[in-house]
Amino acid sequence: MSKFLIVFKREYAQVVKKKSFVVGLILTPVLMLAFVLLPALLAHMKADGTERLAIIDQTERSVGNQFAESLNEYKLTDDEDTPYYSVEQVYTIDPGDSTRFRAVENSLREQINDKDLKYFLVLRQDADLVDSSIYIVTNSDNFRSLRRFERKLSDLMASVRLEMSDINLSVDSALTLTRSIDLVVRDTKGESMPFITKYFSALVFVMVLFGTILGYGQLVMRSVIEEKNSRIMEVMISSVSPFQLMMGKILGLGAATLTQVAVWFAMGAGLFLLRSSFDIDPSIDRIVFNPAIIVFFVLYLVSGYLLFSTLFALLGSIVTSDKEAQSLVAPITMLLILPVILGIAVVQEPNSLMARVLSLIPFTAPTMMMMRLVFVAPTLSEYSLFSGIVGEALLGFVLVVAAFAGMVWLTSKVFRIGILMYGKRPTLPEIIKWLKY
Amino acid sequence: MLLTLDNICKSFGDTVAVNNLSLQVPEGVIYGIIGPNGAGKTTTIRMIMNITIPDAGRVLIDGQPATPDFRNRVGYLPEERGLYKKMAVTEVLVYMARLKGCSAQAAKSQVDPWLQRMGLFDYRSKKVEELSKGMQQKLQFISTILHDPDLVILDELFSGLDPLNIEIIKDILLELKRNGKTILFSTHVMEQAEKLCDHVCMISHGRKVIDGSMTEVKAQFGKNSVQIEIEGDGHFLRELSGVLHVTEFNNYLELELSEGVNSNQILKQVVERVAVRRFTQLEPSLYNIFIEMAQAERPESDTSGGGDSV
Repeated sequence: MSKFLIVFKREYAQVVKKKSFVVGLILTPVLMLAFVLLPALLAHMKADGTERLAIIDQTERSVGNQFAESLNEYKLTDDEDTPYYSVEQVYTIDPGDSTRFRAVENSLREQINDKDLKYFLVLRQDADLVDSSIYIVTNSDNFRSLRRFERKLSDLMASVRLEMSDINLSVDSALTLTRSIDLVVRDTKGESMPFITKYFSALVFVMVLFGTILGYGQLVMRSVIEEKNSRIMEVMISSVSPFQLMMGKILGLGAATLTQVAVWFAMGAGLFLLRSSFDIDPSIDRIVFNPAIIVFFVLYLVSGYLLFSTLFALLGSIVTSDKEAQSLVAPITMLLILPVILGIAVVQEPNSLMARVLSLIPFTAPTMMMMRLVFVAPTLSEYSLFSGIVGEALLGFVLVVAAFAGMVWLTSKVFRIGILMYGKRPTLPEIIKWLKY
Repeated sequence: MLLTLDNICKSFGDTVAVNNLSLQVPEGVIYGIIGPNGAGKTTTIRMIMNITIPDAGRVLIDGQPATPDFRNRVGYLPEERGLYKKMAVTEVLVYMARLKGCSAQAAKSQVDPWLQRMGLFDYRSKKVEELSKGMQQKLQFISTILHDPDLVILDELFSGLDPLNIEIIKDILLELKRNGKTILFSTHVMEQAEKLCDHVCMISHGRKVIDGSMTEVKAQFGKNSVQIEIEGDGHFLRELSGVLHVTEFNNYLELELSEGVNSNQILKQVVERVAVRRFTQLEPSLYNIFIEMAQAERPESDTSGGGDSV
């Protein structure tokens, strides 16, 4: 077996065997989920009493009234007769009358802001054909109600479609007709997701990325310092080449990171399958189970880890103690935590020039791009390899990988000399001299 | 020649650590590099191990420049000892052997016999950090030879070992030699070098001052000396004809005789004056040669020595 693989396996085993690894494996996703669900859960726990809503119906099929009726089955408590929902009014507006539509919509928006109403549902004329023609406006995160609405509307729209269609339709088209709808939820400012949910989700993704990259990156550094301090390095170098040793460490610990991510994904997949039995906010679906976000989370985790752990290997090879290393770790931490610090600014303007530039600079890209991705939360139709957030994320990833390649070159030059220097830290001019060997 | 150093030089800044050093280590011998602290022993060994790159000169293995494969044939014990503290004893030994190209199975089968021999068997599943310093030394010695290297290089072999363990290790080294292995070690403990070495090379200030087989060296520096232990005052010894120089030790005296003087004549004279407990014809000790050479080497102006350079 090649010596690289022997080093790789040891470094991997050393981490995976630790108790802290198992704890992190389980605790991180639990905390992650808790943070994402917390705001919604808090909203859900409040016993608000009957929730008032209004409906604007432009379907000309009185879908609005049928929906209002269907909500009667929900009671506040099982034995009492207090209804959970009270539909204040169903506005039936002619599809052509956009002036009235706008006036009603504005006044309802006001009522929601004044907390006179909790929701209003809009059913546009082509609601039976286009999902986005059904939307609900609310400032609430009560995802249990939103789920109920979505279920009821799916049933209603399916029956509307069936009524309108040919009786001799094929099984395939029948399935299309009975498909469930994705209810679009907007707040009164027109944002498609409650702000707090979005902010927390973005923060969670960034923190997990940040924690993993920094945590495992520093393990690489410590592993180098340990070998340097305990003087194993000389024996190691008499057995393997410095490059094999360095890559064995970086990739061995990287494999441990991947193991962790794989377990998280298994958990995520389980959650995905079970999600219909929970009341999960559909907007969280759009973040947590968004293919673009998942794919880029893994890509940035891996590439970010590789880039930073190589940088940490370089640091480890030139410092003489853990203490000395800590002072150098601080500025690196700053690079990664930048999006959290700039969080509010990024949140308000995820596509501002600053956010875009920072999300393309390799050292800030992983966390910054992740933050933006969650905020934009592209839908499938917005996926494009060469434009939009997905295209930018792809470019950012390529840049991080390129920076990693450069970093490996640089570190391999410094590493082989640095690891055998005891007692004194080399000066910058000395390090630059090593690059020429 | 298994190992040849051809005019190697190494400087660190203004300090010349090794100056035009040439050595030839034949196969199957125990070769000692001796010299005072800061003489350049460790630097020389590091250049052999390709850890330090020589400024000039070549290191040749079997007459060829060393290849990466050569690393697998060498067991190296550096001056600064250290092992993975968090790994178990068996685990660390197998790991180090595998890095030398040993198969996992071969390494595992060798571990227990060696641990038993070194008295570490009961600690085989303990972590390295739980072992005493001396045990860690022994453990590292095992890891140096576990992969059955053809060439064993030991830097300051005896530092930190008690006499009992020194004996155990000496036995192992002699056994290795009988099996055709080559051993190169450095030390400044002359008594040990004298007992072990077939060949010896003494360096001082980065330069070679003595080089040759032990018998050659002793012949070269051979002096007509006797060791004597007497009862009573030994002052008169200095005045005896044929005695050049007297060195007093705590319990005995060493007499250096003029060339051609028969030690029997001296003994006869001494017996007439005092009671003699012991009288031995002496070969020159490496210790004496070392002291003599080191003193001769040291320039009047420089009393600081080379310092321990890396």
